[in-house]
Amino acid sequence: MVEFFIGIFLATLITALFTTRLYRLLLWYSLNSMSLGLLALILGGQFEDRAMIISGIITLIVKAMGIPYFLKYLSERLSLNRQISPNIKIQHSIILIPAILVFTFYLAEPISHMVQGNSNYVAISISSLFLSLLLMMEHTNIAPKIIGFLSMENALFLLGTTATGGMPMLVELGIFFDLLMAIVVVNLLLKNEEEVEGDA
Amino acid sequence: MIFYITTIIIMVLIAPILLSFIKMVKMYLLFKRPISILQGYKDVSKLITKETIISKEASDITRIAPFLVLSPLLLVLFFLPPATSGAFYVSFVDAFTITGLITLSTFFLMLLGLDSASSFGGLGSSREAFISALVEPAMILTIFSVSMMANNLGVAQAGVNLAKEFPSNHMASFLFAGISFFILLIAENGRIPVDNPETHLELTMVHEAMILDITGFYLALIESAASIKFVIFASLFASLFMPFGLDLNPWLSILLFVAKLFFVALLVALIEVNTAKLRLFKVPNLLGIAIVFAFLSLITFYVLGA
Amino acid sequence: MLSMLLLPAIFMLLASFKLQSVRKLLPFTSLAILLPIVELFRLPKPYSLWGDYLVANDLNTYILLVSSIVGIGVTLALLTLDKHVDVTPKAIQSFYRFFALFWIGLIFSILANHMGIFWIGLEMATLSTVYMIKTSSYPSADKEAWNYMIVGAIAISLVLFGIILIYASAKPVLGEDAMLFDALLSKAHKINSPFLFEMGFAITSMGFFIKMGFFPMNLWLANIERASFYPIAALFSGILESAVIAGFFRFSQIADIINRSHLLGFVFVYTILTIFIVSFLIFRAKDFMRIFSLSGIEHMALIALFWVSGGTFAALLHFGAHAFLKPALFLSTGVLESQGRYQITGALKGYSGISGKLFYLLVSLFMLGIISLPPSPMFFSELYGFGAMVDMAKDSHHLIAMIGAVTLLLILLSIIFYRFVQLYQSMKYEGKTVEKRVYFSEVLALSLFAISLIVLLSPSSIHFLRSIV
Repeated sequence: MVEFFIGIFLATLITALFTTRLYRLLLWYSLNSMSLGLLALILGGQFEDRAMIISGIITLIVKAMGIPYFLKYLSERLSLNRQISPNIKIQHSIILIPAILVFTFYLAEPISHMVQGNSNYVAISISSLFLSLLLMMEHTNIAPKIIGFLSMENALFLLGTTATGGMPMLVELGIFFDLLMAIVVVNLLLKNEEEVEGDA
Repeated sequence: MIFYITTIIIMVLIAPILLSFIKMVKMYLLFKRPISILQGYKDVSKLITKETIISKEASDITRIAPFLVLSPLLLVLFFLPPATSGAFYVSFVDAFTITGLITLSTFFLMLLGLDSASSFGGLGSSREAFISALVEPAMILTIFSVSMMANNLGVAQAGVNLAKEFPSNHMASFLFAGISFFILLIAENGRIPVDNPETHLELTMVHEAMILDITGFYLALIESAASIKFVIFASLFASLFMPFGLDLNPWLSILLFVAKLFFVALLVALIEVNTAKLRLFKVPNLLGIAIVFAFLSLITFYVLGA
Repeated sequence: MLSMLLLPAIFMLLASFKLQSVRKLLPFTSLAILLPIVELFRLPKPYSLWGDYLVANDLNTYILLVSSIVGIGVTLALLTLDKHVDVTPKAIQSFYRFFALFWIGLIFSILANHMGIFWIGLEMATLSTVYMIKTSSYPSADKEAWNYMIVGAIAISLVLFGIILIYASAKPVLGEDAMLFDALLSKAHKINSPFLFEMGFAITSMGFFIKMGFFPMNLWLANIERASFYPIAALFSGILESAVIAGFFRFSQIADIINRSHLLGFVFVYTILTIFIVSFLIFRAKDFMRIFSLSGIEHMALIALFWVSGGTFAALLHFGAHAFLKPALFLSTGVLESQGRYQITGALKGYSGISGKLFYLLVSLFMLGIISLPPSPMFFSELYGFGAMVDMAKDSHHLIAMIGAVTLLLILLSIIFYRFVQLYQSMKYEGKTVEKRVYFSEVLALSLFAISLIVLLSPSSIHFLRSIV
């Protein structure tokens, strides 16, 4: 079952790379976070780790519902450009993405042997880190860049959950706190932009 | 042997019903008065009684090709994974053979489109060639990767093995293969994001453009070939990606198999209702995703074993 | 104790809502942070501020002191921000608010004994700077704020990524304590998957290096500092980079035990490459902000280099000198650039009155101090640092290579030296004389930095620096 959610995690990220519409992208991000949250719940249940269960629930509430909804609200109110076409041509990404995946899978191979238990997830989370970087790189618009940043956070969270068997509670809460702060800053930046444009 | 024959007969019989079912669900969801589920049969019987007219420019190919479109597909029906355990199956036929046979049928369909020398036929054939060129690699990769998970290159044997021992350790690559195969199912059968089977608008036609000049009995053959192609893909999806329930009472598991086919048809109908048709030049994007997932499935299986 | 440390920042946060009435008060309240720090110096180390999470030891108390002084200086100089640049009262208000958040984050980050807390503080500081950059009225500020947000986020994510790998490598041995720096340091030789640790360390350092503007992100920071108001550059070089380099110190101490030669190779290649590129970039740079910013990168690279070569005293001295000199220069750009942002000629002309003369004197001294002319602490630190590098190689058969590296570095530094002398000459002797206004608070800030520099060179503080590691 865990493998299944890992698969969904990577699949939604790859699909997000091909997306050209903002709301679709938010949907993929939301599904991505949802699979992450469910994964944390399942693993937390396996290890009987309360911290992981709590962070899984927070992930489900904040990342899978709160943030996508808020970003949608923001983009509606600020009438952001919802047409987001990647700068990298699709035929190039078809080559590029498998190349990244192969590279990161082999890169992570020596690491996977050292992490006990869920060794594959390290490889998957490293490759999703690279894919989120690609997501940030291939767009010039702000919104997909933010989504890329958030998916990078997700990838790190996946790594933290699977490679280490759960980070300390304090760190996970701190990461959430910083995520919320990032959203606040993004909100302020976008708002300010609108004000400036309104003045001009 | 009896189950083997029965399954094949059921698949042939059910094929027109499945396409009508998709149409029915769609009409129901769009608040139209749904057509009868037997509409497929009605169409075929009407077409058989009609006069067959062949274009003056057409060569002999137009007379032969409809049979050659249908027959490879009928042949594939015999090589599919069984619907129930204990049934007879052909174990040695691999991904290349099945894909090759399906492509053979597509090849004759394209010839048929070109043969009538109408501008639409050429247009439809070139589009079909464009799409199927992108479908083949992904299709081979996907079936290959599933066969690897099942430890056997034979497709039918793979289906049996998967039913016996579900690859729960390889869920990730299994999922990727499933996504890829579903996209291929939609693309190869000319369903909505790729082609709209209901329209005769020249901008969007692919399949319809090729058979615009075909009438009567030949059209009936082509139409049934299209429905059989769908049933082949649906049954491959059902037995490779939903491999459960084969150990029940044989008749019950055949019934379950039919239910799975209808489930696939329902999924397709839901997708058709919810998406708009892609521009032709956006189709490679969708198929690109399929190729990426197929490849991803293979490397995830090989490198990570996940 | 912790609440005492955070009090000035929290007060600033609250004051930002009613800024006009209490703005003059803020420098004094921020001065209050020195009290708990002095107290920290007196207490026996390591002193636990909050369980295992925040522990004050000699190293981070020193870094905290340095960055607090910078914080005080910046608050002083902030009083006259609106006199030098075009800024709305609302923007100043939000600037103060995010400055307070930035400060809180960095106090946590500097004092942290826990990798997680360290990261959280750093991330908080990074995010609050984004909005501080945005308050600037320059047209490029908006783009650069996003730029900082994206690149900073990547850098900080790399740091977290590395931290997770380090945690994963040490967790089988240490359990949940694998997040604590002191536990990691004392049990480093027991870590049974050194490859995983080194991978984590390399990735974390990459994050730090990106944040400090090392190769290949050399012009990133300079552009951002150019687009934002000058106090931001001071905060970057004085406080944010202190926290980053503090993190690097901590992580490299552990990496040193795990595999010294890998650490040396990695840092040497990275820093020498950085200095190589930066020296030529400085040579080509056309405005104060970029020159100072690039020279800051050069100093950070030298600090990292000295630290890993065992010249910890030199690294700390260099660090202190850098943290006082650079913010002072950045703060003075507000006055220096009053003729225009790319006007270098005549920048040191036209000062009158006591404040003006004093400003002129101090800026000249700082300019010459930054290129390590003898009385400057940088001179001594570079002397000791290169000495330590040669010392380290003396017993091995890499002596020739090390001498070659030092020579290369000296050649590169001389390019920077040449550029700064040229810069100083054109500031002093070329161009027209235009009257420039210097405010008392700025001179006060600069004098604070000057006094701190003198104190840094006093025998007792040098003795303290030697005793840190």
